Amino acid sequence: MKRLFLFAIISILMLMPVMAGGASEEESDVTTVTWFASRPLGGEIDTTMREIAERYSQEHGGKWVLEIETTADRPSYLQRLRTLIAGNNMPDIIDIDADPYCQSLVDAGLLVDVKQFLIDEGRYDDYQETALRYQEFTDGSMYTLPLEYHIEMIWYRKDIFAQYGLDVPQTMEEWLDVCKTLSENGITPIAVDGVDRWPVLRYMAMIPFRYSGNDYIIALRDGKASMGDPLGRQAIEFVQEIGQYFNEGFAATDYATAQSMFLNGQAAMYYIGDWEQNAMLEAYEAGLVDYFLLPTAPDGTTGANEYCANSGIGMAFNAETFDEKTKDFILYVIENYGEIYASKMQMSPLKVDLPEDVEFTDLYYRIAEDMDNFGPAFMKPWDTYLDSATNTIMQDNILLLASGDMSAEDFISLIDSSIAANANK
Amino acid sequence: MKGIIKNKVAYLVFLLPALLFYLFAVFYPIIDSIRLSFVSWGGIGPQKYVGFDNYIRLFSDSVMWESFFNNLVYVVIVVSMQLLIGLLFAVLLTYMQKNVTIVKTLYYIPCIITTVAVGQMFRSMYATQPMGLFNIVLSALGLGDLVRSWLADVDTVLVAVSLPEGWRFTGMYMVIYYAALISIDTEVSEAAIIDGASKWKTLWKIKLPMIKPVILLTLTMCITGALRGFDIPYLLTNGGPGNASELMSTYMYKQAFSSLQFGYGSAIAVFIIVESIIAVIILRLVGRRGEK
Repeated sequence: MKRLFLFAIISILMLMPVMAGGASEEESDVTTVTWFASRPLGGEIDTTMREIAERYSQEHGGKWVLEIETTADRPSYLQRLRTLIAGNNMPDIIDIDADPYCQSLVDAGLLVDVKQFLIDEGRYDDYQETALRYQEFTDGSMYTLPLEYHIEMIWYRKDIFAQYGLDVPQTMEEWLDVCKTLSENGITPIAVDGVDRWPVLRYMAMIPFRYSGNDYIIALRDGKASMGDPLGRQAIEFVQEIGQYFNEGFAATDYATAQSMFLNGQAAMYYIGDWEQNAMLEAYEAGLVDYFLLPTAPDGTTGANEYCANSGIGMAFNAETFDEKTKDFILYVIENYGEIYASKMQMSPLKVDLPEDVEFTDLYYRIAEDMDNFGPAFMKPWDTYLDSATNTIMQDNILLLASGDMSAEDFISLIDSSIAANANK
Repeated sequence: MKGIIKNKVAYLVFLLPALLFYLFAVFYPIIDSIRLSFVSWGGIGPQKYVGFDNYIRLFSDSVMWESFFNNLVYVVIVVSMQLLIGLLFAVLLTYMQKNVTIVKTLYYIPCIITTVAVGQMFRSMYATQPMGLFNIVLSALGLGDLVRSWLADVDTVLVAVSLPEGWRFTGMYMVIYYAALISIDTEVSEAAIIDGASKWKTLWKIKLPMIKPVILLTLTMCITGALRGFDIPYLLTNGGPGNASELMSTYMYKQAFSSLQFGYGSAIAVFIIVESIIAVIILRLVGRRGEK
């Protein structure tokens, strides 16, 4: 009997931590809002948001706290986010792209209508139009708030171009010709980060964007167009052709290696956005590198001032926990974010007068000017359109397509069958 | 002491924590995977029961079969490296008189390096940009034609992602075999030598048969481990380029967490479990037949 009693006690002791885990947290008057974030820790967005949250918290006597849980690595972030949501534990604020997965969250009523919120609060016009439009779904609704704003460009080595008497290409054809000349002279034309896959996927989007804006990819996503349509085939041919000019072994080249190849002069060109302007600055000021924007197609429908722009992964709010307090904080962010963020030499998604006490570089002004001249259409990355399954297949196989290890027909059949099986699911 | 060992309640008290943990952390996920493998679910909303659809798809999915055969190649490379090289080193160690501990420690070090570091190290060694160790050695040996980006080439990538895993645990199996070899009663091999057996014959006919139970155990560990191989291939290539280095578990992970098809991912997980169980059964049958 005594032993049975002992057994019971030990069993209860063992179960206690399990039960304690399920109990509710201690009641307190401090409001804690959790932001499950995917921004580089210590990066400009991260530090700006922490600064604002800290200031807001102080203004509210410490009764309000923003808890930031960051996973910078995007694939692991998404996996954790999806697992949390699948387990019904969605945090108050999350980072998410306006992709089909996000759409399914919207359909399940989990996210706040950010567009309506901005309009209701009279804040919609505080933002750069393109920055907001990037966050929109195809139907024009918007559930994510941008914290950054970027344009993407092709950086090139002026020294190498000069050596071979090359001019900045104006058309896609000329671009391929430049690559060809460089390649024939034993120069690696383009450094590409294949490990992350998205940089290669950008090349797939270029030709369709030049001839149809984002119409082709939207039709492809909806199952109304085939990868084997003339435009799809043109896109594939372009990837196959330009793929020959990527650095050897690009499939196993990571972001940092590709960038340093370019900066060390081992490759003549490198496609990346303005978020790397600080890395380019020294070489830019030394007159070694410069950039050009996506070349045009002579009979295309989009112009030279229309190319890939993005406002990054957006911030979305849990519809269940979005109360007055959170609203007030978000308005505070909108009020203060632009100036603090711009003072860190970043391109702000909010319209802002540049702070006078900060000395901006010539490169910054030049990029800002290109942003101001931006046309109405912009190339939206394909990964934000495609469903998760097709995205995985496209990203896996585009490396083979670009390296010449897969035929166009195989690629077409893979993509078409995946879209048929997964679109509108 | 005797009282406690005889007491069944005490047994239970001591076994219960581990048993509960096992049920919760291993058994429950397996059962839930089996349940999930019969549904179609994207992570949000209701789960839809689809019967055997996921399994039907599994057997007609060409990428799945590519992963399966890749996995077999992976198992062969990993198992032969870990066990054969491990055994060879262990045998050589038994002939060493001095510094055995230092050598053992040195060979064991790869096991304690974190996977991410191993991945990063091999990624650099396989690269051409900047030139990695493998390619430098090949060039120095006058085999410049073989220089390539080993992880980007569809013909070499599978072998390239298998080698680090094999390399990593060779030392561990060496230590296990060494312990087994030195525990053999020396009288047996001495008797064999007196009877005129050569060292080679002593090893082949006496020592190795005597550690056969250990060999079978390590073979089981190694094969089931390799069938579930995931981390290094995933870190190095994410299964790519294309699906050239896709293994069953990386494919399962991608289906469940990248493509958000938890049902289909679970069906692959169940397939991996069944495959591992079959492997263990075959090994046991082989072991038993040997005993007869």
